[in-house]
Amino acid sequence: MRKNVQTLLRDNAVTVMFVVLCVVSFFFSGQSLGYVAYELLGRLSRNAFIVLALIIPIIAGMGINFAITIGAMAAQIAALWVTEWQIPGLGGFAVAALMTIPIAALFGFLIGKLLNRMKGQEMIGGLILGYFANGLYQLLFLFIFGNLIPLHTDGLVIMGSTGVANTIDLHRIASSLDGLWRLNFNTAFYICMAAAIVYCIVRMALKKVSAKKGGIALGVLVAVLALYQIPAIKSGFSSLNIPVVTFAVIGLLCLANVAIMRTRLGQQFRAVGQNMTVANAAGINVDRTRVIAIMISTVLAGLGQLIYVQNFGLFQTYGAHEQVGLYAGAAILVGGASIVRATNGQALLGCILFHTLFIVAPLAGKNLFGDAAIGEYFRVFISYGVIALALVLHAWRGHSAKRDLRALSEKE
Amino acid sequence: MGNKKARAIASVLIFVLAAALIVTGAVGMSQRDSQTGDEILTAMRTRSVLIATGEGAVESYVAIAADEARAAAQAAGASMSEIREAVAAAEEEARNNSSANLLDYETADTTGLDAALETLNAALSDYRAEEAAAQAAYIAEMEASGALDQTEEEVDTSQITSEADLDAMLAEEEEVEVDMSGFVATERMNELRAIADEQYASVCTELMALYDTLDQEALDTLESTIFDIVSQAGDDFASEYDRFAAAGGSAALENGLQARIIRYGDDLIYVGIGLILAGLVVFFYPALIKKLGVPRMIIGLFFVLLCVVALLYDLSLSGLMSNTLVRMGMNSILVLAMVPGIQCGIGLNLGLPIGIVGGLIGGLLAIEWQIGGWLGFLFACVVGMAISAVTGALYGMLLNRLKGSEMSVTTYVGFSIVSLMCIAWLVLPFNSLELRWPLGTGLRNTIVMSDSTSFGHLLDNFLSFSIGGFTVPTGLLLFMVLCCYLVWLFMRSRTGVAMMAVGNNRRFAEATGVNVDRMRIIGTMISTMLGAVGILVYSQSYGFMQLYTAPRQMGFVAASAILIGGASTSRCKISHVLIGTFLFQGVLTLGMPVANALVPQSTISETMRILISNGIILYALTKSGGDQRA
Repeated sequence: MRKNVQTLLRDNAVTVMFVVLCVVSFFFSGQSLGYVAYELLGRLSRNAFIVLALIIPIIAGMGINFAITIGAMAAQIAALWVTEWQIPGLGGFAVAALMTIPIAALFGFLIGKLLNRMKGQEMIGGLILGYFANGLYQLLFLFIFGNLIPLHTDGLVIMGSTGVANTIDLHRIASSLDGLWRLNFNTAFYICMAAAIVYCIVRMALKKVSAKKGGIALGVLVAVLALYQIPAIKSGFSSLNIPVVTFAVIGLLCLANVAIMRTRLGQQFRAVGQNMTVANAAGINVDRTRVIAIMISTVLAGLGQLIYVQNFGLFQTYGAHEQVGLYAGAAILVGGASIVRATNGQALLGCILFHTLFIVAPLAGKNLFGDAAIGEYFRVFISYGVIALALVLHAWRGHSAKRDLRALSEKE
Repeated sequence: MGNKKARAIASVLIFVLAAALIVTGAVGMSQRDSQTGDEILTAMRTRSVLIATGEGAVESYVAIAADEARAAAQAAGASMSEIREAVAAAEEEARNNSSANLLDYETADTTGLDAALETLNAALSDYRAEEAAAQAAYIAEMEASGALDQTEEEVDTSQITSEADLDAMLAEEEEVEVDMSGFVATERMNELRAIADEQYASVCTELMALYDTLDQEALDTLESTIFDIVSQAGDDFASEYDRFAAAGGSAALENGLQARIIRYGDDLIYVGIGLILAGLVVFFYPALIKKLGVPRMIIGLFFVLLCVVALLYDLSLSGLMSNTLVRMGMNSILVLAMVPGIQCGIGLNLGLPIGIVGGLIGGLLAIEWQIGGWLGFLFACVVGMAISAVTGALYGMLLNRLKGSEMSVTTYVGFSIVSLMCIAWLVLPFNSLELRWPLGTGLRNTIVMSDSTSFGHLLDNFLSFSIGGFTVPTGLLLFMVLCCYLVWLFMRSRTGVAMMAVGNNRRFAEATGVNVDRMRIIGTMISTMLGAVGILVYSQSYGFMQLYTAPRQMGFVAASAILIGGASTSRCKISHVLIGTFLFQGVLTLGMPVANALVPQSTISETMRILISNGIILYALTKSGGDQRA
C-alpha cells in the first residue's frame, strides 16, 4: 500500500505539485471560494473543449498537437464571416460551426501531410507550423480580407488603415450557446450527484464493480454532499449559474473520445501510437491514420475556439489564437497526461488545476511580492515549464527504459 | 531532353530581351546630357512654366471679371443674393472663356522664353548649390557644438514595444533633424539670389508678351512657384523630368517614347540585369537546385528581386546594403552559436535564449557599475560567458539524457528560462536609474546603451568609414571574422574533430573511443557562450538591450539564418553562417522599405519575417525527418 502511494506520487509528480501550488496560491491570493469557483466555471466552459481536442493525436503517437492554433484560426475565419453576414444568435453560431468544420478539416489534412514528413519531430514541427500559419493568417486578415475581398459591416475594417480591425465584436452570437439554458448551481449539483449515485448503485447491482469499491465511491459522494451542506460553502456556490448546453457539449465530446477509441479507427490510432513499424506490418495505413487523427483534432480545436469566442463575445483578431496551443498543452500535461498517454479525466482535471492557478496566481503574486506582473509572468513560466518538464520526464523515462533493457540483455 | 531544350530556348529569349532592354537603357542614359536631353527638358520646362503662369493669369482674369460684375450689379441696385449670383456667373463664364482662349500652347512662339528660362535655371542652380553648401556647413557647426546630443537623448524608450518600432527608430536615427531656425543666408547666397531675380525679370517680360492679361503684381506672387518648378537643390535629369511631368509639362514633348526611354533608362538597365540573372537561373536550373535546394534558391531570387525593386523605386541601394552589412554583423555571432550545437549533434540549439540571458546579465552589470568603452564590453563578455559556461554545461548534461528529442525540449526549456528571467528582471536588485523604471518596480523593457557612458555602437564605430553613402562597420565585421575564425580553428583542433565525429555519427564515434557525452556538453557550452557574446554584439549595434520576452524568438531567427545559409540539422559550415545571415538580414532590411514603397503603412515586412524564418525551419525539419537520430 505504501509503495502504491509512492509510485502514485512519482507518476503524477506534476499533478501533485500543481495541486500544492494551487492551494498555496489560493491561500495567498485572499480570494473567496465563490469567486474562484465562478471564474473557474467560466474558464472551464470556454477552454475544456479545446483541451479535449488534444487527446486523439496523443494516442496516435504524435504528441501534443501544438498545431491546434491553426484550428483556432479556422474558427476565427468563420467567426469573421458570420459577423460580416450579420447572422444573429444560435443560427449564427451554427453557421460558424458549419463553416469551421470544412475549413479546419482542410487545414488538418495539410498539417497531417506535413507532419508525416517529420515523424518523431511532430511537436516542434506543429509549434513552428503554428507560427508559420500565423504569418499566413496575418497575410489573409491584413491584405486579403478588407482589401481584395471587401467587408461591409461597420467596425470590421477601420477607416484609414489596411486590413481587418484589431478586435472583432461578436455581440450577435455572444453567449448564444451558453445562454440557451442556464441552471442554478444548487440544482445542477444535486442532479449530478443523484446521477452519480444512481450510476454507482446500478454498476454495483450489475456486479460490474466489487461491493468494496462501489461502497467507497458511494461514501465519497455522500461525504461531498454532506460537505456541501455547510452554509459557508453552500452560500459561496449558490449564486453561480451553469451554462448547461456548453457543458453538455463538452460531456458529449468526452463520450465521443471514448466511443471513437472503441471503433476500428480508434484501435488503429492506438496501434500506430504504440509502434508505427508494427502497425504498418499489421496492414494499417500509418500515414492515413495519422492524417485522420490530426484532422479530427484540428476540427475539434476549431469548434472549441468558437465556443471560446462566443463566450467572450469578441476576440482579438491577431492574438486570440496565438496561445491556444500552449495553454491547452500545458493544461492536459498538468492533469497527469504524458505525451504518449492521455484520458478525458486527465484533460478535465488539468483544465481545472491549470485555470485555478491562472485565476489566483496574479493576486497571489501581488500579495506576496507587491507586484501583479510577477504572478503574470509566473503563470507563463509555469505553462512553458510544465511542457518542458513533461518533455524532459518523458525523454528521460524512454532513455532509462532503453538503458534498462540494454543492461538486461547484456546480463543475459 | 525536351525539357532541357525548352529551358535553353527560354533562357536565350530572356537573354535577348535583357540585352535589348540594357542597350535601350544605355542609349537612353547616354542621351541625358546630350542635346536631345536638353531639348526635352527645355520644352518641358517652358510648358510647365506656361501652365503655372496660365493658371495665375486665369485667376487674375476671373478676379477682374468678378469685380466688374459686382460693380455692375451694385449699380443696378440688386440685393445681396443677386449680387452673389451675378458674381458667380461672371466668374464661371470668365474661367471658361479664358481657359479656352488664353493661349494655344502648341503654336505660341516660346523661343525668347526658352532662352530666358535657361539662364534663370543656370542662375538658380548656382544659388541652390550655394544654399545647400551653406546649410551643410551650418549643420556641421551645430553638431560640433553638441546641440544635437540633447535631442537624441529625448528619445522616449518607454514607447518602444516591438521590434518593428525599434527598426523604425533605427532608420530614423540615420537622419537627425536639425533645427534650421537659426540659419541665416550667407552673403554669397544673397548675391546669387539677386542675379536670379534679375533673370526672373527678363522671364517676366517674355511671359507678359505671351499673356496679355498678366500684370507684374500677379507675376510677383508667382515668383516662388516658378522658381520651384525651374530648379531644385540637387537636380538631375530624372528629378527635373518628374517635376515637369507633374506640372503637366510632358504634353509639350513631340516624341514621348524617346523621352520616357531617356528618363527611365536606368530602370531599363536594372530590369535587364535582373532578367539576365533570371535567365542564368533558368539555364542552370537543375544544377542550382541540386547545389542550393529549393528554399535557398527562392530566398536568393527574392533577394535579387528586392534589390531590383529597390532600384526601380529609387531607394538608396548603397544605404540599404550598408544597413544589411550592419545587421549581418550584429546577428552573425548569434547565428555562429548554432554551429557548435549542430556539429556536436544536438541539432538546432533553439535553447539559445539560455546563453542570451547570460549575456544580458553581463551587459546589465557593466552598465550598473558604469564600466564603459572597450573595458565594459570585455567585462560584459567575460561575465556573460562565465554565466553561460555554467548554465551551458548544466544544459548539456540535461540534453545528454534526452538524445533524439533535443529540439522540442530545447525550445521549451528556452521558453521557460526566458519567462523565469522575466520574473528575475522584476526582482533583481539593480540600482542604476538607467536600468530601472524611475517609478514602479523592475528593470526597463529596453535599456538604452549610450555611446558615451556605455559601449553602444562600440564595434560599429571602430575604424568605420564610408564611401558614397555606403558605411562599412569595420570593427563589427572584424569581430565577426575573428569569432568565425576562432570557431573554425577550434573545429580543427583535436577536440573539435572529435566533436564533429560525434555529430556526424554518434555510434561510430562511440566505437572509436570518443567520449560522446563529454563532447556534447562541450558543444552545448560553446554554443551557449557564443549566444552570450552574440547578444552583446547585437545589443551594442542596436543601441538597446531588450529584456523580458524579447529573447524568446531569437533562437528561431538564428536557426533560420543558418538553415538559409545551407546548413541542415546535422551538418553545417562557417560559410553557411555568413551566407545565411547576409541573405536573411538582406531580405529583411530591403523588405521593409520596399514593402512600404509598394503598400504604404503596411506591416507586410513583419509578416514576411514570420513566414521566411518559420518556413525555412519547417523545411529543414521535413528534410531531417528521414534520418531519425536514435
